[in-house]
Amino acid sequence: MSGTTHVPALRPPVRERVTERVPGFFYAAVAPTLLAVLLVVGVPLGYSLFLSLNRINPITHRWLFVGFGNYAALPGNAELWAALGRTAYFAALSVAGTTALGMVFALLLNARFVGRGVLRSVVLVPWAMASVSVGVLWSFLFAGDFGGVNGVLNDLGFPSLATPWLGDGFRALNLVALVHVWNQAPLRALMLLAGLQSMPASLHKAAMLDGAGPVRRFVAITLPWLKPNLLFISIIATINALMAFDVLWIMTRGGPGSATTVLAWLGYLTAFQFFKFGEGAAILYVLTLLSFVLAILYFAVLGPRRAAPVRADGLTALPGGQGRHGMAALPPFRPRTRLLPRPVARVLAQGGFWAVALLVFLWSALPVAALLLMSLTPASDLIRTPASMVPSTITLDNFVSVLLPGRVAAQASSVQAQRVPLSLLNSFAVGAVVAAVSVVLGTLAGYAFARHDKTPAFKLSLWALLLTRMTPGLTLVLPFFIGFRAAGLIDTRTALMVSYCSFLLPLSTWMMRSYFEGVPRSLDRAALIDGCSRLKALWKILLPVVRPGIVATAIFCFLASWNEFLFALILTSTPRAQTIPVILAGFLSQAQFYTYGPLFAATVLSVAPPVAVAFLFQRYLVQGALSGSVKG
Amino acid sequence: MASISIRDVSKSYGALPVLQGLDLDIRDGEFVSFLGPSGCGKSTLLFCIAGLEEISGGAIRLDGQDMGRIPPRDRNIALVFQDYALYPHMRVRENIAFPLQQQRLPAQTVQKQVAWAAELLGLEALLDRSPAELSGGQRQRVAVGRAIVRNPAALLMDEPLSNLDASLRVRMRTEIKRLQRELGMTVVFVTHDQEEAMVLSDRIAVMDAGVLQQFAEPMTVYREPANQFVASFIGSPQMNFLPGPVAGGGMAASSLLGVRPYDLSPTRRPGPDDLTVEGTLTLIEPAGPVTFLDVTLADGSLVKATCPDPRTHQPGEPLTLAVPRGSVSVFNADNGKRTGALAPPSGARVRDGVAEAVAHRA
Repeated sequence: MSGTTHVPALRPPVRERVTERVPGFFYAAVAPTLLAVLLVVGVPLGYSLFLSLNRINPITHRWLFVGFGNYAALPGNAELWAALGRTAYFAALSVAGTTALGMVFALLLNARFVGRGVLRSVVLVPWAMASVSVGVLWSFLFAGDFGGVNGVLNDLGFPSLATPWLGDGFRALNLVALVHVWNQAPLRALMLLAGLQSMPASLHKAAMLDGAGPVRRFVAITLPWLKPNLLFISIIATINALMAFDVLWIMTRGGPGSATTVLAWLGYLTAFQFFKFGEGAAILYVLTLLSFVLAILYFAVLGPRRAAPVRADGLTALPGGQGRHGMAALPPFRPRTRLLPRPVARVLAQGGFWAVALLVFLWSALPVAALLLMSLTPASDLIRTPASMVPSTITLDNFVSVLLPGRVAAQASSVQAQRVPLSLLNSFAVGAVVAAVSVVLGTLAGYAFARHDKTPAFKLSLWALLLTRMTPGLTLVLPFFIGFRAAGLIDTRTALMVSYCSFLLPLSTWMMRSYFEGVPRSLDRAALIDGCSRLKALWKILLPVVRPGIVATAIFCFLASWNEFLFALILTSTPRAQTIPVILAGFLSQAQFYTYGPLFAATVLSVAPPVAVAFLFQRYLVQGALSGSVKG
Repeated sequence: MASISIRDVSKSYGALPVLQGLDLDIRDGEFVSFLGPSGCGKSTLLFCIAGLEEISGGAIRLDGQDMGRIPPRDRNIALVFQDYALYPHMRVRENIAFPLQQQRLPAQTVQKQVAWAAELLGLEALLDRSPAELSGGQRQRVAVGRAIVRNPAALLMDEPLSNLDASLRVRMRTEIKRLQRELGMTVVFVTHDQEEAMVLSDRIAVMDAGVLQQFAEPMTVYREPANQFVASFIGSPQMNFLPGPVAGGGMAASSLLGVRPYDLSPTRRPGPDDLTVEGTLTLIEPAGPVTFLDVTLADGSLVKATCPDPRTHQPGEPLTLAVPRGSVSVFNADNGKRTGALAPPSGARVRDGVAEAVAHRA
């Protein structure tokens, strides 16, 4: 930095180019975040790269350095090409689906109507749910013999249509993509909604007066306005599709056969099932690089757009009298001819609007309602053949067996059900600590980045932080496991807290930065002149102003922590530290029919806090999506 | 171009009335300003004329045709928005062409008409720029260009100059006026700037709290304000209000005298038709062409007067202020309505002269 503080005298005085001296406070503010991210993400990423350059014998633990040998072998791996093809197909479906659906949601939720607040919350529910819970729900709905979809078909009198939905390979891939879309579309909707809300109302009014109808206005005004949002949404959606793992783990485990084995799953399989750590790491590194390329594209889109300079020239004085160009002979204004009389068209438009609103509501709420119904259904009803969704009775037994395991006779309660209360507690504890730490450190760092984003060191580290958000967890999880095992932290909540904090710090930093950017610098200066220290100015003056941002950031961090599955799966092995997604997944591994009831009760419990958050803090979530750094 | 008739128009948001029983007739080719403090409903009324807001009662007619069931896009009305609402992703040329394209006019006509508008507004060099590359004044002209290009029945402008800096504002308002004269447009112009309204308008509609206070020519509004609100809203510095009995001659205690600071000045020898008040000079504010004097009257109230030269006075000196009786407005203090100008002193010859003149005319 010392080299850049001296400005050569000959350089033309360009505003903002003169390097500002950054007060030490700001270095101190970003230090903890950068250090944590470097240690907990940067080092493992390097380790993973090193791993991919070796071949490791899982039994003898002998390492053999092979250079790029693992990578060189990849092009010859037919399975890899097949997986790449499936990944591309899955990503294409997911991007198209989430974007189209997200657009419909956003347009709907941007309109003013009675019940908009409720619908906004309902639409968010599928996204707020843990992907494991989503997987549990849909894998039962699509299950072959007792599945919910087949149950409904039987109930409606179409038993011939019942089929093992996930049994056919290509159909399974499509259905998993559909579930992914169901889970992800709400977030795209939030991002598009943020874009729609930033659009000045006068644009549409002007276009209306200029004679453009609703469709024309959507094409000519709304779509171009949302272009940057759409572009970066499609990139984020692609990265998320590349990294999709939890839903696959729960629903298909890459099968049937290898029909849903996408790149991420292949890497996981190679590294953690076949214990070919080096080869697996190479596959996952390809995935990482793919994400990074997309992320850099994303930066190019999100990065400061070069605003064309305002030029005051070119405005000539108004010519008096007759000019060269005469007025064209315009035909007399004729209102457009209508296909339908106005009242009819109005009723149709209203009806169409409410029909779409109803469809969106059902799409979001029906599967969740089914989950709730199944959790209240006696466990024996869930394994009836032929399947039916109509319960013989409504019971709270499932909830009792997971919440009060002692109250149930031993044979009715499973081992797994007894683990639910502690896992909920673990999830809460981890989520609360992670949210608190992320908010505190993220606020400090976000403030520093908001005030000094022109300084090269800050600018660079800010983008580096965002890049770590694009790192697939699968690439990091093995070095994490090794590192935490060395530190004796395997199977502790501390390990989970440390890992979650470090991936969430970039998120919280970016979110808080965007909130601080909305606070005028004059407020800082006023506080400093009035005798505050920097820390006191931040605490007393700025924090109250950015409180909505703090709430939104805390919620996003809590939800991300609550819903995380992969790291919890790998870093914990006993119920002592296991969080609720791991316990839910455990139910499936045990595959005991009588535990479906408790499984759904536990799923409902796992979904309840995120859903409550979606309802209570919907407004903050919409705001939070504005910051543009939210992912997954 | 068209005439606009507003009949008993009212509008409310829920229980909150924003427009109450408005009646206005805007003639073809007339320049009318809606003037009032913020929140008085002037922009709402403009949006009602455009059809962007629905009225709760009454009727708006364009050239006699009821607009009640006609959506904005079929009214052939153009509106210049306060923030200009230029389509950010379209170049200036495309912005101006947009309304014409909506009417599905042949490309050649569109091109010719855009060229006409661009030349009229001096925008020819800017046609291929995007709105982000334009300064405030340039954007304003593009917005006007997009509005007039399709030869609308009426041009509405919602505080179009409020986002410009002071010197540009004065220049642009002259241009708008000239354009309106040249094209013979019917223009409705919303503003909270009384000077803008005075300079531009053929007639001004002064509004307050959703109610039309006065609709008249600018000098009438200035000289004969219909009520106390109009009197104090128009003119800067504000009109002085004195209790009626100051004028003597049996003025009712419930009347108020409105005296413009520009009409009130210190004098040593008041004329026979002058109304005079005594007071002490407390503050001298030289403002260039005139100097404002703050004078405290015997009853403790403060009035503002003007004099040409600040050097002739000292703070603290006693002053006699005089105003020609004919330029004093008399208001009924109970309902605020103007009852007329102050009559000349009783028994004066002038009064007879007026009476004679009236009789003569009759």
